[in-house]
Amino acid sequence: MTRKITIDPVTRVEGHGRVTIHLDEYGQVKDSFFHIVEFRGFERFIQGHPYWEAPVLVQRLCGICPVSHHLAAAKAIDQIAGVDPKDLSPAATKLRRLMHYGQVFQSHALHFFYLASPDLLFGMDAPVEKRNVVAVAVENRDLAVKGITMRKFGQEIIKAVAGKRIHGILAVPGGVHKTFTMQERDYFLDGKQIENIDTMIEWSLAIIQFMKDYHEKNRKLMDEFAAFPSGHLGMVNNAGGLDLYDGKLRAIDSEGNITLDDISTDLYEEYFSEAVAQWSYMKFPYLKKIGRENGWNRVGPLARINMCSFITTPLAEKERQEFIAFTGNKVNNSTLYSHWARLIEVLHCAEEMKLLLNDPELLGNDLVRSGTPRLKGIGIIEAPRGTLTHHYEVDEKGMITRCNLIVSTTHNNDAMNQAVKWVASNVISNSGNITEGMLNQVEVAIRAYDPCLSCATQAMGKMPLKAELYNHNGDLINEKYKNG
Amino acid sequence: MKNIRTDKLSILLIGIGNCGRNDDGLGWQFVDMVNSKGPDQLCLEYRYQLQVEDAQLVSNFDIVLFADATHDVLPHGFDIKPCPPVNHYYFSSHAQSPGTILYLAHELYQKKPEAYTIAITGYNWGLGTSISEAALTNLESSYHTFLNIFLPALKEVYAITG
Repeated sequence: MTRKITIDPVTRVEGHGRVTIHLDEYGQVKDSFFHIVEFRGFERFIQGHPYWEAPVLVQRLCGICPVSHHLAAAKAIDQIAGVDPKDLSPAATKLRRLMHYGQVFQSHALHFFYLASPDLLFGMDAPVEKRNVVAVAVENRDLAVKGITMRKFGQEIIKAVAGKRIHGILAVPGGVHKTFTMQERDYFLDGKQIENIDTMIEWSLAIIQFMKDYHEKNRKLMDEFAAFPSGHLGMVNNAGGLDLYDGKLRAIDSEGNITLDDISTDLYEEYFSEAVAQWSYMKFPYLKKIGRENGWNRVGPLARINMCSFITTPLAEKERQEFIAFTGNKVNNSTLYSHWARLIEVLHCAEEMKLLLNDPELLGNDLVRSGTPRLKGIGIIEAPRGTLTHHYEVDEKGMITRCNLIVSTTHNNDAMNQAVKWVASNVISNSGNITEGMLNQVEVAIRAYDPCLSCATQAMGKMPLKAELYNHNGDLINEKYKNG
Repeated sequence: MKNIRTDKLSILLIGIGNCGRNDDGLGWQFVDMVNSKGPDQLCLEYRYQLQVEDAQLVSNFDIVLFADATHDVLPHGFDIKPCPPVNHYYFSSHAQSPGTILYLAHELYQKKPEAYTIAITGYNWGLGTSISEAALTNLESSYHTFLNIFLPALKEVYAITG
């Protein structure tokens, strides 16, 4: 008989999702789906509001990545206010960048230390009570303390520039609303009250070494687990270097061939389309010229390291060189390498923060610029989880008439489904017994993409995640719901 | 007595909740009341949820108080009780219990602050910034007891000055 497995909720990810696996009468995986069942509605909800409210309203999409939504929306409304990115004052641009690097730094630290490290430290088959950060704290105190301190550093950066760690406000149309003082800057440099930025760089290197050591011992697993070909999308500067805040869109295929050649972010609609599926509230973006079936891209750390020509900071670039050397400079399509790529970005963000904190222009008081108002604005940034698009259109009174959000997790929708399918086919098929460890491998595959399901569906309300096993008759024969 | 670092104890009050979710804002309102008319020797913090890094925060204090709304219908509309460390992890990264935070403070920073929860019964959990009438009554009662009975008792036990 066929069977269907459901994992519901998927744990240690941000949001509420569900996995169903359908088996045929021979115990082979017939199909698998990663369902997103939260309510979508933010794009509609925001219509009718004045455009300048957008950067504040959209932060409420999420408690994990409000900064990313704030800044993507801010870049869009700058254009509605008639100001292009190059026309912002140096102080405004650098304060926004500092906030953004602080956000990526703290978000990546949260994901690696709180969510992913238990899988790496204890293994995918470890007892469920060990697969959490409390167990990491007990068995690897040093790692946990570093993780907490690094996350807090990023949060303190956000608090310093935006007033609050969560849902703070920095950007206004055409710039920012507050200056950064020498006292605020020195807090992060002198090491008197908190560990300073040099320590963050040192610890970032130490955590990368931890990952390299793991790779040394688990290379086969990392190479093979949930490996599948895909496109990779991200943003680069004019020279092709990784740029998380502003730049041009670049995509490559699984072999490294360019499929999107450094296009202006304003043109994204010409190149991307979004498909829908009956079984998920989350959309499926893809490159129009390649088509729905093969035109989808991974986004996020692995995609970014794959598609950029170089990283703009020296230590992270050295790590990137070492990273790509393992695949002979070819594209890395193995899911678990996302963790390593994420840590290289942690280092990159720490280096960028240090550069900004030592830049006198960060302390400038020319904060807001203005221009001739327009009716449309598109803001794209590289959020922690990948390429994030905010698109607004307004009427003559500045009221929002259209909002389109393509969040990072949406781009990774196909990739996460492919990853689930890989585990279902390679681990669960043909096994007479379905263990907790097997189901955790499904979660590990999803977790590597650090999905933020609340953002992807613009959900409201509670967000625990839900897994189900169905037979060939469609009967539910096993299910799990993990909420504690 | 353990945890006494100086002759004046440090006390942290954390309000937990969301003021945009009606009675879920009770924890924050409680902190607001202490801030506006209560004793000034408390350090005050607001949180939507407790997160792992709050273990570092609580490790810096001798006494930690967690004020939060509860669905439980309590006999007097509120309850103040000791909060022990608990080795338990909630699956989400951003919603840990006070007991887990205290457990982590001990494991990671070797600190064991005395801790109490102040649970206040709420009734309305929709979208909105207003607190229900019945929940406001519970808030007043909890604050009155906190100020006139709990805090004096705490001062007496720990010989807090000021």
